[in-house]
Amino acid sequence: MNVTGIVFANDASLGSLTNSRTMASLPYGGRYRLIDFHLSNMVAAGVRHVGIVSRHNYQSLINHIGSGEEWGLELEEGGLEFLTPYALSATDIYRGKLDALSNVAEFFRNIPDDGYVIMADSSVLCNIDFTDLLESHIASGKDITVVTKDGIADGKKVLDLALKLDKKGEIVDIAVDYVADASYQASMDIFVLGVSFLRNKIREFIARNLFHMDRDLVLGLWQKGQLSINVYPFRGVALYNDTVEEYFHNSLALIDKEVRDDLFDHNHSVFTRVRDRVPSYYGENCQVDNSIVADGCILEGEVKNSVLFRDVQIREGAEVENCVIMNDSVVGEGAQLRYVILDKDVTVRAGAQLIGSAKNPIILTRGESV
Amino acid sequence: MFFQKKRCIAMLLAGGQGSRLKVLTENTAKPAVPFGGKYRIIDFPLSNCVNSGIDTVGILTQYQPLELNEYIGNGQPWGLNKTHSCAQVLPPYERHDKKSGWYKGTANAIYQNIAFIERYDPEYVVILSGDHIYKMDYAAMVDYHEKHNASCTLAVRSVPLKEASRFGTLNTNPDGSIYEFEEKPKVPKSTNASMGIYVFNWPVLREALIADEDDEASSNDFGKNIIPNLLSQGHKMMAYNFDGYWKDVGTIDSLWEANMELLGKNPAFDIRGDEHSKIYARNSALPSSYIDEAAKTVGCFIAEGSEIYGTVRNSIISTGCSVGKDALVENSVVMPGVVIESGAIVRHAILGENSRICRNAVVGGAYSSKDKMTISVTSKGAVLEENAVLQPGEML
Repeated sequence: MNVTGIVFANDASLGSLTNSRTMASLPYGGRYRLIDFHLSNMVAAGVRHVGIVSRHNYQSLINHIGSGEEWGLELEEGGLEFLTPYALSATDIYRGKLDALSNVAEFFRNIPDDGYVIMADSSVLCNIDFTDLLESHIASGKDITVVTKDGIADGKKVLDLALKLDKKGEIVDIAVDYVADASYQASMDIFVLGVSFLRNKIREFIARNLFHMDRDLVLGLWQKGQLSINVYPFRGVALYNDTVEEYFHNSLALIDKEVRDDLFDHNHSVFTRVRDRVPSYYGENCQVDNSIVADGCILEGEVKNSVLFRDVQIREGAEVENCVIMNDSVVGEGAQLRYVILDKDVTVRAGAQLIGSAKNPIILTRGESV
Repeated sequence: MFFQKKRCIAMLLAGGQGSRLKVLTENTAKPAVPFGGKYRIIDFPLSNCVNSGIDTVGILTQYQPLELNEYIGNGQPWGLNKTHSCAQVLPPYERHDKKSGWYKGTANAIYQNIAFIERYDPEYVVILSGDHIYKMDYAAMVDYHEKHNASCTLAVRSVPLKEASRFGTLNTNPDGSIYEFEEKPKVPKSTNASMGIYVFNWPVLREALIADEDDEASSNDFGKNIIPNLLSQGHKMMAYNFDGYWKDVGTIDSLWEANMELLGKNPAFDIRGDEHSKIYARNSALPSSYIDEAAKTVGCFIAEGSEIYGTVRNSIISTGCSVGKDALVENSVVMPGVVIESGAIVRHAILGENSRICRNAVVGGAYSSKDKMTISVTSKGAVLEENAVLQPGEML
């Protein structure tokens, strides 16, 4: 069986955090980038051909992924392909996944007709068994499988795609860009389709100037009775990162052992680029509680409920609470930080005070000095 | 097949058992013994090679090579898997003549791999061992060797007189050339010790190896045979002084000490270093570590993938370990994958890879500063049952 993976790097935005990077390369959990999760999910299911669709800002992503070696995807056949817009469509405006896929026709041309495609967005984090998902798709005999998650729809969050099922599991409603109530299941932006089906649909839709996966393909065809949908409810942890608030919350969620154990299931490693840092050093006077700490850090101050990435330094007397501190940032002596996201290479001077809130964490951008 | 000519290649002697490491090397070769939280001893000479621009390394293995071979793999972690670079594992093999079989000594190991070296037609061959923790720029040593037009250059450091008899010792003229060399002398005449790091002109070494092989009385050893023979033949041999951190980790005590010397604000050995002296290791795909609310972590190294709920003081916690609630780890080296369950106490110990200290078990003892400490050791995969006690200096 030939299975091809497509990961959308999501040029969506989380304010200054994604000013110069894609969602896919947004740092997470001390040593990861968001894309590591879906790449690892795919590799774990034996997928050996993955395309990464990205339109701009992809320098940091390319630096991170390289040849795909860390994921075992540096292959002669298949392997990893960056699908960047070498031939832009008529407009430079992002018009949807179908448009993006039609721009990478060359990539599709080499996939066998009877194969399958797993499509996933980088912004939803999960450790999911794609082997089981594929089996479910094939057994269902349906046109498309949509992976959904219960409990995300809450009457407040705008969902890209929401599905409502009746007691028998039949779909009774589908909504797009919709603030759904709790009776809906949220799409996790993961789809499985047959290659020839997807290829034909892309051709048809583009010809009719329809570009949107959720709205035009899923909702549109379903309304006309032209699409059979297999709903695959996911039981594990799914972390949606659509806003800074969500990303901040999800970062600190790793402090919860259940979340950690689910995302980093021992049978299914999450691979990332290796940086060969030394182990973190915990100084004589440090106090570290309830925190996630990557390698290479030098910790001499107090750290509580926080996530520290590689090579972070917390100097003596500094107090860091409810913070996400990315690579190479330094918190000076006696500085106080609460509800703060420090992007890479930020220097907080001795004695500085930065107090944000869970809803509105203060974000310092890369290289800043305060 | 075409091999690019190399100015210099390295041969790393990694076949020794390291029997003084006792249970730690029962099933694994000494160079594969874990060190410093995420490294293995062999990472140091291998990384030094890469940082010195040496991209072709032959690794001679013999004793319990499975883990070592697996660890080295294709050399990717050290960047030695490129088109014109390699980390080639060289085990003993069978030949058409009778000159094959187990490596009889360090010199014989190189002798049996002359064909490997010839493929690169090198001018210089650096001989290294996988027994020491240090950072050294071999390129500077090779340049020194070349500048002095020597046949052979030995890296040398000064050691206390009482320890000198464990080493090859040598005396030099004011220009650094060696006029006297003694391997492990009972009464040392010098405190200049050979570090077992040699640079040879390949034609000189080649000839010496062939002659040595024909000498039935020889023990086929660099220190005992090759070096003294070359000196007596009048070859120009230079001493290259090295005064950086260098530690033999061949005994339980020295392995423990070397690990402890990584700790502190200004450690005796700064493993961190800059981009040019980075130590590379094969990494396991593990998440960041978690430090619980109840945990206390002071003066320690904690590598990735660990979960700490107890107290860790002045210790090395390697990748993928867990320290349970109310457990105490003090002055210890905890190797990768060790589980220390709640209430257990571990002091002055080396816990071998994947060993498990069950609830409320006790390892090692407390010492006052005057006491002579003895290190307790658990072997790979050992299990110390609930409430059990492993006395100071005991091995499991």
